[in-house]
Amino acid sequence: MTAPFFSRSPSSHSAFSRRRLRVWLARAASVAVVTLAGMTPAYSATPGADDPRNGGDATFLIDSLGNTWIPNNSAISSFQGHIWGHVTDKLVYVDGDGKTSPWIAERWEQNADATQFTLHLKKGVTFSDGAPLDAAAVVANLDIWSAGRKSEGINPIGLFPKTYDHAEAVDAATVKVFFKAPTLGFIPTLGYHGSILISPRSLALPAAQQADLRKSAGSGPFVVESWKEGGFVRLVKRRDYRWGPAAVGHSGPAFLNSLTYRLVSEPSLRVAAVQSGQADIAYNASPQELKSLRGEGFTVVTPRYLGFVNGLALNTRLAPFDDLKVRQALQAAIDRREIIDTVYTPDWKLATSFIQSNVPGAADYGRLLAYDPVRAGRLLDEAGWVKDAKGARAKDGKPLLLTLNSNPYLATSRAIDELIAQQLGKIGWRVVIRAYDVPTYGEKVRIGGPAVPAYEVTRSFIDAGTVAGILTDANNGENWFALGESDRKINELRDRIAGAGSADIRRPLLDELQKYVLEQGYFIPRTQIVQRIYVQSPRLKGEKYNGIAYASYYTATKAK
Amino acid sequence: MNRAYPAYACKRLAQAFVVIALTYVFTFVVVSVLPGDPVTNVLRDPQNGFSEAEIQEIVASHGLDRPIPVQLWASLSRFVVGDLGMSMRSDRPVATLIAEVLPSTLVLAGTALFIALVLALVIAYGTQFVPRRYGQGLLRGTPSLFLSVPSFVIGLVLIHAFGFQFGLFQVIEPDSVPATLFAAFALGIPVSAQIAEVLIVNLDNESRQEYAAVARARGLGPARLFARHLLKPSALPVVTVVALTVGELLGGSLITETVFGRTGVGSLVQRSVSTQDLPVLQAVVSLAAVVFVLVNLVADLVYPLLDPRVKLLEPEHRPRAVQA
Repeated sequence: MTAPFFSRSPSSHSAFSRRRLRVWLARAASVAVVTLAGMTPAYSATPGADDPRNGGDATFLIDSLGNTWIPNNSAISSFQGHIWGHVTDKLVYVDGDGKTSPWIAERWEQNADATQFTLHLKKGVTFSDGAPLDAAAVVANLDIWSAGRKSEGINPIGLFPKTYDHAEAVDAATVKVFFKAPTLGFIPTLGYHGSILISPRSLALPAAQQADLRKSAGSGPFVVESWKEGGFVRLVKRRDYRWGPAAVGHSGPAFLNSLTYRLVSEPSLRVAAVQSGQADIAYNASPQELKSLRGEGFTVVTPRYLGFVNGLALNTRLAPFDDLKVRQALQAAIDRREIIDTVYTPDWKLATSFIQSNVPGAADYGRLLAYDPVRAGRLLDEAGWVKDAKGARAKDGKPLLLTLNSNPYLATSRAIDELIAQQLGKIGWRVVIRAYDVPTYGEKVRIGGPAVPAYEVTRSFIDAGTVAGILTDANNGENWFALGESDRKINELRDRIAGAGSADIRRPLLDELQKYVLEQGYFIPRTQIVQRIYVQSPRLKGEKYNGIAYASYYTATKAK
Repeated sequence: MNRAYPAYACKRLAQAFVVIALTYVFTFVVVSVLPGDPVTNVLRDPQNGFSEAEIQEIVASHGLDRPIPVQLWASLSRFVVGDLGMSMRSDRPVATLIAEVLPSTLVLAGTALFIALVLALVIAYGTQFVPRRYGQGLLRGTPSLFLSVPSFVIGLVLIHAFGFQFGLFQVIEPDSVPATLFAAFALGIPVSAQIAEVLIVNLDNESRQEYAAVARARGLGPARLFARHLLKPSALPVVTVVALTVGELLGGSLITETVFGRTGVGSLVQRSVSTQDLPVLQAVVSLAAVVFVLVNLVADLVYPLLDPRVKLLEPEHRPRAVQA
């Protein structure tokens, strides 16, 4: 308990004036320091070297370390993003709810039609090679994200806005970015997994040198100490780091001394190594193991990413999906609850739209996705697909058939397909399941392809505004439902969403788009997706998960 | 060494070059006819969000849109001058990738071969001198048991038992000495079975010879009889088996390295196959062919030197086909 400043000790009155005064002054000085620290920018609040949270080494077991380490070409969306997320920073931070907040860009402004953005950068930020992270560096990064250097084998970032025109360094800390068309999604895209800031010196290197991970300098809280292709990447903390995003509540150097990502292909070995205390984090454990691991006291985290739910995009050019009633029947014939109960765990959520429910702007249209086999059967009857004596539906001599190409990027895809085949079989709908390896799948199964009536989607995005642009073929869109420009309503919504200058204008349009796509049965959601599963030692705490479900151990501490 | 030996050696060398060249071309053709390529496979990952036009442009920039014979000629031209090219998966020089992983594989394969030879010798010795009532029959069945258990099963059992349960090695430190020893056991056990089988058959044969009976009659103990008299004549066929198992050790390292998380030639091949990284695959397959051919060449060339009974006939002394 703290004693009042001017309480007197009956036995030592004379001592008050000196000793108590010294104590009082010391306390006053402490209060002043704390107050001043609170007033200074968050990134200067560096914890002392004697902070008890400091120290410790963490080992993260991962099932792949991807392929190339050329920043633009690497598999940032799946595995290498874990490493890049610790070695590099981004201009903005996007949290698990899709909320954007300042990071290297302290603040930003945009013009009324979202074609020009001004980014104001934090000062004093440097890359690990000593180069300043200033406006010129940001322009160099924006340019290479947009265009790459294709002739040298450096790809552009696929999901960077195609409307990018150019960027200018106004001064050392101000960048102006210009777009050919309204691009409201630009700011959230700066927090996406591909938008990592790399030193201009590293960007200038030829592709073969960029592929050496040690040669790519970022400004992140860790630096690469050593790595071995297909083996491990060992990161050590950068002691002069002091510009972490305010949203994670810490801005100084990382607490952990080192973080090692080690490739262990076998899932059971990854989990067993954490159980035996040889490692701290196992990535992508089997969903069936999660309950028992929780029971053993391990931390199990299944963060959801921002993106589309797992589902089927139907090709409306191919029969029978050119018929609205058949599409609606498929929407009603899938028991999504049974998928979660059978294939997954309660960590997986029911789909309420065709985008994940944590995406800002996601609507709740769960009622349109209710399991109703009676309605599905009635719709098929009305569409002329009637049951024969054996219970199989046919029309004009042709059987009612759905071909599903199991997605090789999702381990549980085949199991879900088999369950859907059983569910559809109950209403006389035959399902053929095809399974391919990744290269063959890439060749044979393309969205809207002539032999692909239903394409399975799992994809992240950071801003829902990009969704409408993908659905049709305008502006190099992906034409998910093979509609082209034939659906006037979807075209109108797409154009209005693309032209929206603010989130408030866009929100009701996004809501309408989601309702329309689900009602039309263009997209058949299966479940919300959990793409990353983390099993973690209880000794490790304090990690943060961003909008793409990546764990950051920048804020993590390890019990001694 | 007789006069026929240099001609024989030259002929075998020429054959070795032909085998390596054919292996190179065969690998190229087989991988090229598979659907997709490493660049397209990555770009088509829906997460990357590339349009088809962008994919085609990037594929062309890598020269993958050219006809297969043109690509083969370009690749072969580089190969003959020692340029292994660039990995299409990692964008790094293939020679660097191989140089990084080769030492690990050589250590693993070398240790596994040593363990296999020791195990084979112990088993073979036991089959000759352990009395039947103390399990000689069991020892004779050991090679069959070792052959029937895949190395990845042995690896997983060793990891769970000695890595996790007894903590004798750290699974996350696969290049440490204890972890390397256990990985070498997993790789060496099936190989030991092949060597042991050959050795047992030959020991059975030699121990029935008169000289063995004389040695026993003179009071020679089992160990001295084995080491001094039986082992050398029985071990000659083992040279051929060891030469053949070099290929198996290189191939088997793929599985063992994957299970133990080691980064070696095997894991490099595994990653290259899964991503169709043609330059790396060609280089590794050619390297394996070189090693395999060289080891067998050495075995063939050493054989006449080791065993005086093996003679190379000069052309004029070779039997001719009988004219009709």
